[in-house]
Amino acid sequence: MITVENLSKRYGSTTAVSDVSFTVEAGSITGFLGPNGAGKSTTLRMLTGLTPPSAGTATIAGKRYADLPNPGRVVGVMLDAAAQHPGRTGRETLQLNASLLGVPKSRADEMLDAVGLTGAAKRRVGQYSLGMRQRLGIASALLGDPAALILDEPANGMDPEGIRWMRGLLQDFAARGGTVILSSHLLGEVQATVDRLVVIGGGRIVADGSLAELLSGSGTLVRGLDPVGLNQALTAAGLSLEPLHDGALRVDATAEQVGRAAAAAGQILIELRESDSAGLEELFFQLTTPTAVAA
Amino acid sequence: MTVTDVTTPTAAGTNPAAAGKHRAAVGSSLPPATGQPFLKLVAIELRKSVNTRSGRVLILGILAVALAALAWQLTHLPNGPVAFNDNLMAASTGVQLLLPVIGVMAMTSEWTQRTALTTFTLSPRRVRVQLAKFVAAIVLSVVVLTVTSALALGATAVGGAAGGDGATYAGLGGSLAGAYLANALNVVMGAAFGAVIAQTAVAILVFFIAPTAWSLAGPALFKDNADWLDVFGAFGRIAARDLGGMLPETLTAIGVWIVLPTIVGLWASSRREVK
Repeated sequence: MITVENLSKRYGSTTAVSDVSFTVEAGSITGFLGPNGAGKSTTLRMLTGLTPPSAGTATIAGKRYADLPNPGRVVGVMLDAAAQHPGRTGRETLQLNASLLGVPKSRADEMLDAVGLTGAAKRRVGQYSLGMRQRLGIASALLGDPAALILDEPANGMDPEGIRWMRGLLQDFAARGGTVILSSHLLGEVQATVDRLVVIGGGRIVADGSLAELLSGSGTLVRGLDPVGLNQALTAAGLSLEPLHDGALRVDATAEQVGRAAAAAGQILIELRESDSAGLEELFFQLTTPTAVAA
Repeated sequence: MTVTDVTTPTAAGTNPAAAGKHRAAVGSSLPPATGQPFLKLVAIELRKSVNTRSGRVLILGILAVALAALAWQLTHLPNGPVAFNDNLMAASTGVQLLLPVIGVMAMTSEWTQRTALTTFTLSPRRVRVQLAKFVAAIVLSVVVLTVTSALALGATAVGGAAGGDGATYAGLGGSLAGAYLANALNVVMGAAFGAVIAQTAVAILVFFIAPTAWSLAGPALFKDNADWLDVFGAFGRIAARDLGGMLPETLTAIGVWIVLPTIVGLWASSRREVK
């Protein structure tokens, strides 16, 4: 649905984005992660035709963004919730866009209702909180009933209720075949929302895969009644391991291998399970820190 | 935002059937997607320039200047008949000075307010949008000038009746034609400056200072040759609809101060990065 191929952006001698390629499939939510200045926003802006790429192409439903006759009907975009005119009311903001998209005026009120802003419809956007502007931005993105959503930091400034609401909305959107790409720094929220991850660091893609795949823990966690004895038994069985500070061992082997080795040595296990996944935060730093240092 | 505002969508979000409203239930009833006709873009730009407080204040402010000038005229009636020409001149002097700001702001406000981000994601063919802004600014300025002219007409009639010496409308067509022509040129020039310099304050400053500076410094430096770049002189000749044999000078001044910035502005704003 969204295809990015060899996209690069250079500013003079600085390369902001270098040879970035990924696809976002229909029916999935892709998290687009990276530290500040890694090239996330530049990539999203090239995807939406706001920044001309130095090289490469980005297409949505097979077309370049600028070639979509009325892009808001195909893809809903929210790159910055703060970029709304403070002097217009929420309703006027949406009605203006509705007119451009060729959808009925009533659609603006329906969307205000869908994002819970009906009570604030007649207030000027300048009086909205950041969370309310995010909701208005989401309403605006959904206005043309698009098949895809491109959202930059949509959960920014939202309260926990709002974040949960947004998660439900996006998962529901994807469940009905919608395509979503979102960037966020709220890693816990990303982990709870997305199916796939694209991680960018120093302008390059450093990871691209399903969330489960990227987060799958490495090895097995085992705890024995006699930690020293268990350590010796597993080492003797030729398994490589790493003692953890709480007395458990992390072993580069399957649970079965560990169980067999322990049983053979008569070691009593009190815990045996797949090792905790590194967690998105750890993965994020693993992937992006070396790049940041290199850059 | 109240608690109910927060909880309503939360409930909808956790219930797929209810949240489905934004796509399945409502979506299917939407009319098919079409392109964006130029006239629609113009209509939208017009709406944008009057649906914010600052836009309305600007227009009402311009009309207030016209009203103040006419009030002064009415309280200082001349001996003899009241001339429409005098009233139009009085009312439109301030208006002509301020109307180009409509042109400047049409081009700059989206960049200053950062709404360009939304505008150009919804309409990625920027040159069309920018042209629509030019047209919208001209339409709006014509409306304001028409209201001003109507006020001048009214003031002339009232003044004529009150003064007892009657009113004269001699040269009405010529004065109006001159006013509209000069107005259109001014507004396009303002819009062109706004397109080149995307910051409202800076663009307005440069718009007012640069040609004035030239009209002051030019003659001192280049004597009569300064006419080639004297845009106010050109406007004056066009408004008077008498080029006085200075067609090449007039065209050059218009070319340098209006056509060139328009082209550069359209090019710049189609390349400018939207942040």
